[in-house]
Amino acid sequence: MPAAHERLTIRGNLGAGSFLPWVARHAARLGLDGEIHHADAGRVDIDLRGPTDLIDAMEMGCLLGPIDVWVETIDRTPNPSA
Amino acid sequence: MTMAHQPMIDQWYPVALASQLPPEGRATQLMGMPITVLPGTPVRVVTNDGRDLHVIVRYGHVWTSLGKPSKELFDIPEADQPGRRLVEVGVVRVRCSPLRAVENFLDIAHFPFVHTDILGAEPHTEVGKYDVEIRDEEDEVWATKVQFYQPQAAKSASGGITTDYMYRVPAPTSTVLYKTCPARPGEWDVITLFVQPLTEELCDVWPWMALFDDETALTDLIHFQQMIFLQDRSILENQIPRLLPLDPGREIPTRADLTSVAYRRWLKRHQFTYGAQLVAQ
Repeated sequence: MPAAHERLTIRGNLGAGSFLPWVARHAARLGLDGEIHHADAGRVDIDLRGPTDLIDAMEMGCLLGPIDVWVETIDRTPNPSA
Repeated sequence: MTMAHQPMIDQWYPVALASQLPPEGRATQLMGMPITVLPGTPVRVVTNDGRDLHVIVRYGHVWTSLGKPSKELFDIPEADQPGRRLVEVGVVRVRCSPLRAVENFLDIAHFPFVHTDILGAEPHTEVGKYDVEIRDEEDEVWATKVQFYQPQAAKSASGGITTDYMYRVPAPTSTVLYKTCPARPGEWDVITLFVQPLTEELCDVWPWMALFDDETALTDLIHFQQMIFLQDRSILENQIPRLLPLDPGREIPTRADLTSVAYRRWLKRHQFTYGAQLVAQ
């Protein structure tokens, strides 16, 4: 399956310190290459490379996230420029 | 049981079939608390220390709450639709989290593997795209436009058909499935799963149906539904972790699990956590 490059823009109540390590762990579990492009308490942008189905699975996992985080929405941008 | 479970304490739960209450009552438990369901007019539900709980008799079942429900019991308008057969399937005890029982019911992808040649069959294993939303006004989870090929979708179906489904979660341990009605195109058969949480890892499941089917014998309808659920029970009782994870942890939900993900998000939003695992282990 060809690798895709997408940015997940996650919005919600993301201030808990658990979230970014959780994101890194979940991406690694899926075998995705990931990089945090932006992070604050209300928005996190993650750039991901890997098969589209696994990026779908990353989106599903992030919709749940750790218990102390509430993810409101996730937008996906293919081939983010910067 | 702790204050952390208050949002679920204040919900309605099924605790008996109204038509089958023995004269001495039904001794059972709800969220770890012993209760007795007493026949009569009106039906009463009492705790061991003599407290009378709120009671509603609806959809063939006695419903109660350990707390103060802020809402009426959810509505199923089809229950009052003329011509439907209302089928009380009975009770199945399952050693699993009550939330797991609901989540399993929402999982369409398991049909061909668990209910082989009945609700699904290989190679028809693909779940097409469907819509899932948390409806703010009703405060319910809905999955719509679900389509799946089934060799025998209902007792009244004689051959394989592509079945349309809608799933609805109106309460943390109750779920309603609407599916293509083979006997009456344009209408939906209604199949529900009402789950009584005995403890966080044990539940009584009370399936109930409202069908357009004048031909099938009642015992056959009941046996069909019981067979389906007994197939699920062996899966449910072997799931690890036993509690439903709200943090996916080692589980990898995929797009086919969209309804399960929406259900878990809805539980998390409302702090409906009795029977849930909060931190992945």
